[in-house]
Amino acid sequence: MRNPLLIFWALFSWPKSRSPVPSRARIQSSSQASSTIFLVMRRMRAPLITLIVIFSVSVIGLTLIPGIDADGRVARISLFESFYFMSYTATTIGFGELPYPFTAGQRLWVTFAIYLSVVGWAYAIGSLLTLLQDQSFRQALALRRFTGKVARLREPFLLLVGFGRAGELLAKAFDGLGTQLVVIDESSDRVDALELGSYHADIPGLVADAANPHHLGAAGLESPFCRGVLALTNNDETNLAVTMATALLRPDLPVVSRTISTPIAERMRAFGTPTVVNPFDRFGEHLRLALNAPASYQLLTWLEAGPGAALPERGRPPTDGRWVVCGYGRFGREVTSDLRQAGLEVTIIEPAEQGKPEPSVIVGDASEPAVLSRADVESAVGLVAGTDNDTTNLSMLATARRINPGLFLAARQNRPTSAALFEAMRVDALLVPTEVVAHEVYAQISTPLLWRFIREMPARGDEWAADLIQRLRITCGRELPALWKIKLDGEQAPALTGWLAQRRVVLGDLLRSPEDRNRQLRVVPLLLLRNGRAVLTPEGETVLAGDDELLFAGGGSERRELESTMVVDSSGAYVLFDEHLPNSWVWRKLSRNRPKPSDAADRGDVTGRRA
Amino acid sequence: MNLEKVVFGFFVLLAATLNFGFFIGDIANPDLHNVYELFAALAVSLIATVLKFGDRTQIGAVHLATSLVADLQLIAAGVVWVWAVEISAGGLTAVHTASMVSLSGGALLANLVSVVLLVTETVSFHRG
Repeated sequence: MRNPLLIFWALFSWPKSRSPVPSRARIQSSSQASSTIFLVMRRMRAPLITLIVIFSVSVIGLTLIPGIDADGRVARISLFESFYFMSYTATTIGFGELPYPFTAGQRLWVTFAIYLSVVGWAYAIGSLLTLLQDQSFRQALALRRFTGKVARLREPFLLLVGFGRAGELLAKAFDGLGTQLVVIDESSDRVDALELGSYHADIPGLVADAANPHHLGAAGLESPFCRGVLALTNNDETNLAVTMATALLRPDLPVVSRTISTPIAERMRAFGTPTVVNPFDRFGEHLRLALNAPASYQLLTWLEAGPGAALPERGRPPTDGRWVVCGYGRFGREVTSDLRQAGLEVTIIEPAEQGKPEPSVIVGDASEPAVLSRADVESAVGLVAGTDNDTTNLSMLATARRINPGLFLAARQNRPTSAALFEAMRVDALLVPTEVVAHEVYAQISTPLLWRFIREMPARGDEWAADLIQRLRITCGRELPALWKIKLDGEQAPALTGWLAQRRVVLGDLLRSPEDRNRQLRVVPLLLLRNGRAVLTPEGETVLAGDDELLFAGGGSERRELESTMVVDSSGAYVLFDEHLPNSWVWRKLSRNRPKPSDAADRGDVTGRRA
Repeated sequence: MNLEKVVFGFFVLLAATLNFGFFIGDIANPDLHNVYELFAALAVSLIATVLKFGDRTQIGAVHLATSLVADLQLIAAGVVWVWAVEISAGGLTAVHTASMVSLSGGALLANLVSVVLLVTETVSFHRG
């Protein structure tokens, strides 16, 4: 580095080179936008040249024609005056004949020049306006603006592809958590909806086909601030393309992808380790969980619904007996196999015969009472209305309920507009695919510990879940409190790290109030993660260690109290050991000198010092 | 033969030749520098600039830059002329003429760079 400028260059480019994005290939994302701008400039060539030629000819012509000055002598007007005159005449301002009245010859030329210049201006301005109205030009401008907005983001963000119903629910939830989002959707209506929606953050939205990696690049796929990609469009192919592009260009990013087809899910898993969410599959699993462990299912739906959700009713689905599944599409197959795995007998009704008929498949329109009685609904215990048509599903439910009022009814809602009808129908279990996807993704992305908890929860059994629900209700009320995690490291808990290494710190002591340590905080510990091993609902006697991660459920004020325990030395000492540390540095220095001889003996023996 | 290239080369070269024609001669003698030639040089230079719009190549960008420099210099020369003839008391003196012509000399240099670029482009095209 002989050149001092090179040193500066190296200094200023340092932050960039220190956070490299592990990418195998780069996307030239801006090329498309700039090419359109170049096209516009190219198209403006002809009008501009016409204008220059017309102006030059008019100006020169006017100076060549002899005029008469105020004294009656022959005088040509100068180039400058001619240019001045043509400028105000061509732009229709028209100050009159300057510097002195024109002769007939000059007027003849000016008449000609006026018509010529008006045509020139009209042509130039018309071309410019046409270009500004041009769809591809406007799209290029929008893409440019969007790219700039994303490039200026200086906080972690999630890239949300597909702003449908699920996308909207998720955007609301993540915006509430203070997570920045970037949205791509194919439909301009949806992006307009994003702009109209009231979000805390300014969420950049782009109307584009996300299957094109250039658009993903413009949306910040390669940005070091991108924290994850959510592919939630209704189109499986697009989701697959997004998963692929992310796995190839940013293998380090987590991907959550929605699909309703098992083969597509397999193809997605061929690229890295994306999390594939299949709403039908998940509903089947939920239904099975609801059959085996109603309380676990209740806890699961409550936690996935997000903060502020009311405790859902605990359903009591029939655990033995025969079920009728109407509609044997992808959804019907998933549910049927899940029900059969749960050891239940299933009768299937399919509107149209397809492929080789399986045993126990009845072909016919399930909304007709005759077909339903052929399936022997009278003696069945449950019915799943799972076609892809809401009207069919509703009429099926109504008919079945009339035949057998005691049936357990499960239904699939396809369109968000039908929500009110299904609610009025009072079905026992309702699948709204978009909501399942939204809840699932929320649980996975918002706090990784919550996802861990949800995965390990069913193994703990139904009674444990019922106890936990009871405990959450008593401690935090009927609405789900906020879920948050802490990590006992030097950054989040500077006051505790020293004690964690030297003395015995138990969870129960940590959860005391710094105002009055006899009061326990109204907080429920859900999960403790240490060295990759998770302990669900750790007891108060659990001894904590450095770098432990904890997931809590509790209100914001309780969280702040716990944070003050973790950050402020004197609060921590009081809460954990009932010791009073001086707050100021001077007093701490003074008091630290005095008890020094007994300090080593006291370590670990809390009661001795208290006495 | 590409008509676009012909038109482009024509205007680039014409801008340079007109500019040269105006520039040549005793720098302080107003009789040797016709203002109409300056006007023509400016108009042709503007057209050449517009023709260079929308070229995405690196050499196109340098072309555009040289043209913009030439325009700027010629406009400055034109303003000096207007100032001398219309505003200053002494009319078109040797001092004014010299500054006007020297400004156009700067533009001539930019135009020559344009021509060199044009020739380089052509030669490298044939070689490739």
